[in-house]
Amino acid sequence: MLALRRVAKSFLDRARPTPVLENISLDIPEHEFVCIVGPSGSGKSTLLRIMMGLTPPSSGEVLYRGQRVTSVNLHAAMVFQSFALLPWLTVQANVELGLRARDLPEEDARKRAAFYLDRVGLDGYEEAYPMELSGGMKQRAGLARALAVEPELLFMDEPCAGLDALTSANLREEVLTLWSDHALPVNTVVMVTHIIEEAVLMADRVVVLSSRPGRIAADLQVKLPRPRSKRDEGFDELVDSIFERIV
Amino acid sequence: MSEERTTPAWLPILSGLVLVLFLGLVLGPERVLHVARGVARAPRAPDLLPAAGWSMLRMTASYLASLLFAWAAGYYAATRPGAARVILPLLDVGQSVPVLGFFPAAIYLFLTLLGGGRLSLELASIFLIFTCQVWNLAFAVYEGISTIPAETRAAADSLGLRGVLRLRALLLPACIPSLVYNSMLSWTNGWYFLIACEIIVTGKAEYDLPGLGSILSRALARGDLMLATGALFTLVALVITIEFVLWRPMRVWSQRYRYDTMQGEEAEEETAFRLPDLGIPTLLRPVRALVHSLWERLPIAAANRAAARSAALARAAWRWLRWPAGVALVAGVGFGIAGIVRAMSPPWPREAAALPLALLFSFLRIAAAYVLALAWILPLALWASDHPRQVRRLSLIAQIGASIPATAFFPVLVALLVDRFGGMEIISIALAMTGMQWYLLFNLLGGVQRVPRDLHESMRSLGLDRRQIHRKLVIPACMPALVTGSVVAWGGTWNALILSEYVVYRGRTYEVLGIGQMLNRATFQTGSRTMLFLSIALLVGTVVAFNRLVWDRLYREVHARYRLEG
Repeated sequence: MLALRRVAKSFLDRARPTPVLENISLDIPEHEFVCIVGPSGSGKSTLLRIMMGLTPPSSGEVLYRGQRVTSVNLHAAMVFQSFALLPWLTVQANVELGLRARDLPEEDARKRAAFYLDRVGLDGYEEAYPMELSGGMKQRAGLARALAVEPELLFMDEPCAGLDALTSANLREEVLTLWSDHALPVNTVVMVTHIIEEAVLMADRVVVLSSRPGRIAADLQVKLPRPRSKRDEGFDELVDSIFERIV
Repeated sequence: MSEERTTPAWLPILSGLVLVLFLGLVLGPERVLHVARGVARAPRAPDLLPAAGWSMLRMTASYLASLLFAWAAGYYAATRPGAARVILPLLDVGQSVPVLGFFPAAIYLFLTLLGGGRLSLELASIFLIFTCQVWNLAFAVYEGISTIPAETRAAADSLGLRGVLRLRALLLPACIPSLVYNSMLSWTNGWYFLIACEIIVTGKAEYDLPGLGSILSRALARGDLMLATGALFTLVALVITIEFVLWRPMRVWSQRYRYDTMQGEEAEEETAFRLPDLGIPTLLRPVRALVHSLWERLPIAAANRAAARSAALARAAWRWLRWPAGVALVAGVGFGIAGIVRAMSPPWPREAAALPLALLFSFLRIAAAYVLALAWILPLALWASDHPRQVRRLSLIAQIGASIPATAFFPVLVALLVDRFGGMEIISIALAMTGMQWYLLFNLLGGVQRVPRDLHESMRSLGLDRRQIHRKLVIPACMPALVTGSVVAWGGTWNALILSEYVVYRGRTYEVLGIGQMLNRATFQTGSRTMLFLSIALLVGTVVAFNRLVWDRLYREVHARYRLEG
């Protein structure tokens, strides 16, 4: 579904180009849940932004269903670490934003936003402003906003990093439920995280990046049966083996 | 919690009476009585209401033009790579040119090219007010757009927001807090210099436009205290009305458009003395509903297509027009520069030799006003830090004080002080002080307020006394606010020199050697373009150099060292 061909990215640091990502080639098939893990500074978030079409790669190319991605991919949506809700819009208006950008009629937009707010457990909070919500609820609103455009591909940039342990566990469950619900259009997820346990709990496949510049250090399938828990047999071994590849 | 003594209610009244008695003793009772008589008869002065209307119209027109220009400049600077490096210094220079420096341009653009009828005079006046209002608005737009968090920007992009929707959902709201705050500054600035903007001087001829500024100026020149105080009352009443009806609700409303979702102190501060929202909600609700329903009905795709079509049309037109337009622009700028250079080229008049000394004197005067203002503001801010509940009341006073243009009080100040203790020298420093003190007070109170209470309590629990807490905690914590306030106060006062160093009162000119006096003489007496441009070049050079070499460094230093958070 999504293919990266020898993608590299470098930023200018005091007029000197500094490589952030090097030689990233990756295929993401449909129906897969992929986690990208790596130490901080390995360019995980940059990679995700390149996949989304928010940032152009310095070299190489990104293909979506065989088409070259040159601007923001409107078949995809993204969830951000800082939630990135607009503080001046209500939760409902935030969720409708992407639908208005796609010219959905007002009535349909309202219905669809309400549907997804209900799915993430935020019904009754439509008229609230983001600052009135807790962190977990804000991220649910962010999730609803991404899901409401009914993307084929969902990107998540450390969605649980700003949340406490209990809230992030709940959110993980929620995301897995939504992903496995075949009634929803979204079935392919790419998630960036620095918590290896989180990746092993959720993903079909874990891509490990090395640090500075980021290269693919490992690409592992996670074969553990779902639903998973940290007490599952083989869980710790897998986490340890990923951890060793990062260090 | 805090053991607060309440100030008895009669204390302010008593201190007011003592002040009046003291003034009466040192200034001579007949002078105080004269001013009081003027004040008592003021409401009967004619023409004030229409004048206020005219001034208000001019200010509004200039403000709207400022908003448009500010949006264009700020947006361009914030979104085009590299544009900020050209535009921001230009805005900086524009901001430091006092309004008299724009007289030649106003006269040439509007009087010479448009004939010199009433309309062209009005346009010239609006242009002059515009030059007092526009700069900080442009900075506000730049700041608003360039401080949108990277993730918020990415989120808007990832949702596919473009064109009109992006403008309306992301860019405009992001600018609202800084725009509202700076609009208040701009209006104050406009009122402040109105006194200089409503009388257009071309060499020998002077044209008065009906307005509060020209009335104040003429009343002062004739020594007509009755008219002057009448104008003062009208202006103050107008400004306070606008403050309560417009800016106060706007400030509360603009809080919603901030990213930092701290609900704590500041939100509380605003609601603490939220007045009955006079007029605005009932007035605005139907307007808002109308705009909203129009917006809902606006087909985004069609609007975007229309915008794209008109953009394409404009591009096509531009392709044809860019050569003539470019040539005209280059010719105009070249002509202007050539004119300035020709005017500035030697031989210089003899007066030019006095310029460095004038600059030095002006600087010393501002410094004296600054020290005097701090002498009462610093103790007051420290007192407020011990009485947290009084802070709100004080900052309300400071906000209103800052919104009243100090120029309105010139006639009274001049009438009271002329020919006393060094006469004009004292008046000049007092006038500079009246302009600068409110910004200092306003910012320092903000700084005092941001010192967390638990830091206070931890200091007290360590056994430090009041004085030690002031020295160790409050003063260091207020340094960033002090520097911010000082930058605004000094910048404003450099420009205000043109009003404080040269006053015409009862047909006599009172002046002190200074750069502001030089500018006034060049405009109103000698009409010497050479002196005008030389003074402005010197002033702008000094202000920009001072900002870059002193305030910028101090600001960075102080913010790095005395930040409370993080």
